[in-house]
Amino acid sequence: MATMTPADATLQVHTFRRSPLSRARGHVGALWRRPLTQAIAKAVLTIYVTSTITFFLIRLMPGSPVELKIDELMQNGQMSYADAAAAASGLFDIDLNAPVGQQYLEYLANLARADLGNSFLSQGTSVTSIVLAVLPWTLFAVGTGLLLSFVCGIGLGLVAAYRRNSPLDHVVSTAGSVISSVPAYLIALLILLIFGIQLRWLPITQMRGAFSPGMTPGFSPAFLGDLFFHAALPISVFFLTHIGLWILSMRSATLAALEEDHVTVARARGLSDGRITTAYVGRNAVLPLVSQFAIAAGAVVGGAVIIEQIFVYQGVGLRLVKAVDQRDYPVMQGIILMTTVAVIVANLVADLLYSRLDPRIGRAGGASGT
Amino acid sequence: MTTIAAPARRELALPGPVSAVIEFLRVLSRKPVGLAGLFGVVFFLALAYLAPLVVPLQDRVDVTAIYSAPSFGHPLGTDYQGRDVLNQIVYGGQDIITTAILAALFSTLIAITFGAIAATLGGRADVLILAITDVALTIPQLVLLIVIAAIFRPTSFISLAIILALLQWPALLRQIRAQVLSLKERDFVEAARSLDLGLLHIVFREMLPNMRSYIAINFIIAMTYAIYAQAAIMFLGLVPLSGKSWAIMLYFAYNQGALFFKDSFFYLMGPIMAIALFQLSLVWLASGLEDVFNPRLRS
Amino acid sequence: MPILSVRGLSIEYRTRRGPIHAVRDVSFDLEQGETLAIIGESGSGKTTLAVGLVRLSPRSARITGGQIVYDSGRERVAVLELDSEELRRFRWAECAMVFQAALSAFNPVITIWEHFFDTGRAHGMHDRHRVHDRARELLHLVHLDPDRILSAYAHELSGGMRQRVLIAMALLLDPRIVILDEPTTALDILTQRAIIDLLRELRRKLHFATIFISHDLSMAAELADRMLTMYAGRIVERAGVDDLFYRPRHPYSIGLLRAVPRVSGALGSVASIPGSPPDLIRLPRGCTYYPRCPFHVDDCRESDPPLLPVDTPGHEAACIRWEAVAARIGSAAKPVAEKLA
Repeated sequence: MATMTPADATLQVHTFRRSPLSRARGHVGALWRRPLTQAIAKAVLTIYVTSTITFFLIRLMPGSPVELKIDELMQNGQMSYADAAAAASGLFDIDLNAPVGQQYLEYLANLARADLGNSFLSQGTSVTSIVLAVLPWTLFAVGTGLLLSFVCGIGLGLVAAYRRNSPLDHVVSTAGSVISSVPAYLIALLILLIFGIQLRWLPITQMRGAFSPGMTPGFSPAFLGDLFFHAALPISVFFLTHIGLWILSMRSATLAALEEDHVTVARARGLSDGRITTAYVGRNAVLPLVSQFAIAAGAVVGGAVIIEQIFVYQGVGLRLVKAVDQRDYPVMQGIILMTTVAVIVANLVADLLYSRLDPRIGRAGGASGT
Repeated sequence: MTTIAAPARRELALPGPVSAVIEFLRVLSRKPVGLAGLFGVVFFLALAYLAPLVVPLQDRVDVTAIYSAPSFGHPLGTDYQGRDVLNQIVYGGQDIITTAILAALFSTLIAITFGAIAATLGGRADVLILAITDVALTIPQLVLLIVIAAIFRPTSFISLAIILALLQWPALLRQIRAQVLSLKERDFVEAARSLDLGLLHIVFREMLPNMRSYIAINFIIAMTYAIYAQAAIMFLGLVPLSGKSWAIMLYFAYNQGALFFKDSFFYLMGPIMAIALFQLSLVWLASGLEDVFNPRLRS
Repeated sequence: MPILSVRGLSIEYRTRRGPIHAVRDVSFDLEQGETLAIIGESGSGKTTLAVGLVRLSPRSARITGGQIVYDSGRERVAVLELDSEELRRFRWAECAMVFQAALSAFNPVITIWEHFFDTGRAHGMHDRHRVHDRARELLHLVHLDPDRILSAYAHELSGGMRQRVLIAMALLLDPRIVILDEPTTALDILTQRAIIDLLRELRRKLHFATIFISHDLSMAAELADRMLTMYAGRIVERAGVDDLFYRPRHPYSIGLLRAVPRVSGALGSVASIPGSPPDLIRLPRGCTYYPRCPFHVDDCRESDPPLLPVDTPGHEAACIRWEAVAARIGSAAKPVAEKLA
């Protein structure tokens, strides 16, 4: 057999072609392997499972909305049972007597079209509009509180680490540790109790609610001022609840970063302390905290329920409790779904942020040559 | 079985368990936070379980003494029905702490069992358990808790504890699974496997003893979450309120307007402080235990 | 006129058991353009010394005595008395350090270019283009491709590339002294060769003085003009490189030389030094090398010997028995291991 020359080999490679189907499969495979695709698929799956679980769970609750409405009509309208029943059944545009399986499939179909249905009790009002009416307030209070606590916590943690074992460090660390152990609603009650009642520093009755009656939402300075006035207490509570975590995390992250060799090298290079603190110590220390922040942001939306209850702040949490009381299934489902989606999105963002901020992840690592 | 050597400096020969306890306290006292936590926990446990044996229950409704200021007869004042607040604090710990312990126990058991199974069996079982855990972790806990509490309306400790446990196992399970996965590669597990000792034996006799400290600390943290959750749902009025507990006191205090009277300060403050301080003690104890169990920090 | 003059430098670490005397009464001079090698085993204090020269010791360390005088050509500077701002300007511009090429020498979240720019900016070079040009020039000098290197992150480079980058960066401000701490230790043999050749070439072109710290005697043989041997925090021998390799006068130096296997040596000509280094917290009264020394006598335990001049000029050894050592070793220009075999 004649020996192969390199030219022959090239010829061989050139004639090899994959079938269109196998090429298509190859593209899909490559797309699937990308982490973003996997994350999105996982998110969709979680949303599906969550909505299914909540759907069935809610229907297990004792007392159907129809019965509640009948009771209410009988008490307020002094109707007889028969009249009330007739009136009530006309109010709900979902046939609650249909088999559960059918209801479930209708629910899923609507969900796929991003239609969360209508509230049982306020006829014609879509759940989406209800949720969107309350969500901004919650996001505003939670977001502001978390952001402020992050910024202040990072700063304090950094200072505490730089002045390790000084009195300042002891005070800040202990305060952070104590505050982070106290549950949020206790902090809220303490604020109300001590500053509102005992010391009478805060006009708490006026501070209830999301905004003062008679004010129309908008971007006017008057409204914004009013907004902050009413949101001040919830924001303070979120601030205090989380600042301990940031202080302690940043402190330990900074202490670890200060031990790194490249900081010593940076000093040997004659870099100023300021530059070292920001770009060498700070940036490396804050890295893991950024994704922690994103995750906390997702989780805190759910935990705002009690705080809103205490301060009568008309946000998502308060609306959920009302929906539970009224057995308003669609609103309950909608809110639970929304909060779960918030957590999922926050986790996705956290992963994304981390891989963007840390150049060691997601780049073609490795080197060649000397 | 870890043996703790008696401190070399001692001349007295103390019995084994006593010297073990002393050694434990000595290491714990390195970090005052841990010691403070231990004292706090012991104090509250004594308050909740031992004090009621000594202090008689004062349950009489006395409408003439509603929200009276602190006095010698009522050191913390009275509640909206004229009952002594301090008395309620003494009797209020039992329920909430027992439920917390039960909840922590259940969730730890679930987490250990399924975490170990997931890690040792691997494959499909692992993927399934992980998937369920992930979903459970994503759903906001408080929200779910509200719905579940409204559905099942638990009236006994056990049912409440089970509900609470159902929300906590995901976090611990992931950690147990990670631990078991890393232990799986260690030599002593190889040795056990080569001796053909069987899966259950390996998990419970070889691996778990190594995770003892880990599990103890997580148990304490699980207790803090259970207390947090209990107080939350009781405060929201979602649980049929029977018995006495600090959380129930909180609910009544808030909803009966204790906020607005100057003299009823302690009716609200009492349970708040009790819960907050107990939580703090638990967290500090867990932090102290972390140092105790970290061999690198021992001399 | 030496550009660096160290007299009686002592550095100790504070620990719970007591102070660790890591560097004890070290004195030496560094001439302009000279290459000085400091050799010793781990724990001999050589890295502490190197780091101490730029006052970069960790918080637990303290300089307990001595002085370091640097001659910048315009003035003479007492390094130990510089305030923090003067020290910051002194570092890198006058005396640069090249650390081991570990990944940890670099800030992982910024590019190599930013490392250069940070260094330039810290010393008054605020013009991006100037720094950029200089960086390119230096990277060419160390045989790296600037386009590829400057936009990269540290973890994307190999060990050899990182070492070259560190060398290039050290030369950014044209320092008179470059200290290299174990420059080839983490590298494979071929890369080591390349780095050694590079250092020789740079020295020829730029004429800076070098101090390099190593336990690698062969590297010292290739690059050094003079050598210091350190043991238990003290200098035990000071000599020119030929003198040290062919005519060592301290038993420890001999031990080090015999521990290096030779390509052409007979099997069994390698010998390690029995025993281990002393506890630096509780030092013995006499010579610290006593327990491991084949030449010791009772008098050695009396006191720690100072550096004594020996039979060749510019050569000192801290040994009262140096004459016995000299008698055994002789002065021929043959490797010590051969002479002892």
